[in-house]
Amino acid sequence: MSERPYTDEELFNAEKEMTEITQNSLKKYKQTPSVMFTKLEDAIKAFSKDLVRWSRANSMWPLQFGLACCAMELMDFGSSRIDAERKGYLLFRGTPRQCDVMIVAGWVTKSMVPRVKRLYEQMASPKYVVAFGECATSGGPWYESYNIMKGIDQVLPVDVYAIGCPPKPENLFGALMKLQDKVGGKVAGDTERSLTENIRRAEI
Amino acid sequence: MPNMRINIGPIHPSTHGVLRVVAYVNGDTIDSVEPHIGFLHRGVEKLMETRMYMQNPSYTEKLDYVAPMGWDELYVSSVEKATGATVLENAQYARVILLEFQRIASHLLWLGTFANDLGQMFTIFMWAFRERAKVIKFLEDVSGSRMFYVNMRIGGLNGELPEDFKERAYSLLDYLGEQIPKYKSLLDNNNFFVSRTKGIGVLSKEDAIAYGASGPVLRASGVGYDVRKSSPYYIYDKLKFKVPLGTHGDAYDRYRVRYDEMLESIKIIKQALDLMPGGSVAGAKIKLIGQPAKPDTVIISRELPRGEGIIYLVPDKQKPYRIGMRSPAYINLSLLPKLAKGAKFADLFSIIGSLDVVFAEIDR
Repeated sequence: MSERPYTDEELFNAEKEMTEITQNSLKKYKQTPSVMFTKLEDAIKAFSKDLVRWSRANSMWPLQFGLACCAMELMDFGSSRIDAERKGYLLFRGTPRQCDVMIVAGWVTKSMVPRVKRLYEQMASPKYVVAFGECATSGGPWYESYNIMKGIDQVLPVDVYAIGCPPKPENLFGALMKLQDKVGGKVAGDTERSLTENIRRAEI
Repeated sequence: MPNMRINIGPIHPSTHGVLRVVAYVNGDTIDSVEPHIGFLHRGVEKLMETRMYMQNPSYTEKLDYVAPMGWDELYVSSVEKATGATVLENAQYARVILLEFQRIASHLLWLGTFANDLGQMFTIFMWAFRERAKVIKFLEDVSGSRMFYVNMRIGGLNGELPEDFKERAYSLLDYLGEQIPKYKSLLDNNNFFVSRTKGIGVLSKEDAIAYGASGPVLRASGVGYDVRKSSPYYIYDKLKFKVPLGTHGDAYDRYRVRYDEMLESIKIIKQALDLMPGGSVAGAKIKLIGQPAKPDTVIISRELPRGEGIIYLVPDKQKPYRIGMRSPAYINLSLLPKLAKGAKFADLFSIIGSLDVVFAEIDR
């Protein structure tokens, strides 16, 4: 029988440490902002943060970037039935330098991964990623294929997942509203995720 | 001598799907063009060999995501031929009706995006998608799914049709018959659209046959070949319809052929609805171990919205031993270097767009 890598005590301590970290992070989030401002500068700082968040959340420009089937639903999202423009999402741009959100719609093959990464790197910060559909989430029906990346979250830090094969345009609308809440600071984790803290990261 | 090499794609707003094109240009004139494909390859044919017969339709549907039902029906009918199953009479009518609706939806999507690329910004896109949404809703209510229907079963469909199927189909046809002719004035009276399509990417009759083109691309060059006419399947020999033909073989003719095909499809569906005998349409339920297939090779062809699709199936008893597909879009894309040679660089996208290619089907 092989040796166990950790003793029981070490495992217990690690668990305790993890709980402390999560509780501390929650505490930090629950802090109520002080209402009294002694200086005008502080007031401006406090309000300008909210103002920036609000304006970021309400003008999400997605990258016009279709890979496969889900791009058809992306087109439907942009057409007259859904009318996504009323929420400020719809200004599909052709160049990544003007965009905030990358909607990965479709399966990502191994030859496509460097190109998708390149596009992500070209986007200006703050930037967010939505994995749209089963293929971008986990590989979907092509899970057994030899040429498919099993989830784009191995390469990019994904913020919101929309599930379905393909998801309905309404689902994408919902996903972007979730992202809006996140960017606008309504739910925890409003900061941009970085590539290094990605759990499922693969070296490609 | 080319003096510049331009890389387009693989992700470019005007290539629907993932296509990389390397163009060698001399000034503004294209000297030669190399399409690079394979960015969506995932080995469908190999994956299908590891599945039972009726587990595969969801793979074949994702070949052509603009008109999934066409490949679905083609695959299921190849299995029917291999196992020797017959299709219920009413189900034959229902399949023809659904397939023609799918053809209309596919051509509408093509029309919207094609016109969008050529400077007819968003008006026709919005119009075409408004009509397409109605067709898709109808197909969703019949099959139960919005985009990948997977509603073909051996011998019929996945269930009975809704009770108000006929009334809804008739009213939808009236609506389409009223709306689609309105596009003509918007496109044919538009100088930008006409001057960017007329005389662009001319394909002669001989070349179209020699390269093996099919579908609207072939018919725009004046060759009257349509699988529905030349070797009729289901009830197509009972129906009266024309095969629209072009005369010059340019991008404008390809648009006109597809446009006329939509109107012909409306006529086909109306006749099929009139002739529909009634009765059950439900096919066999999906079983993992079904009727074993006969050991004969099956080759079967259908007229898909993009051209002639062929499935070559070597059957094992319960799963395909080998499956091969002839994708019409792949063969039509091979025309691109021929058509683009000598054209202006700005016309490259009107040529690619007029071929109506779908990359999942090309890369497989």
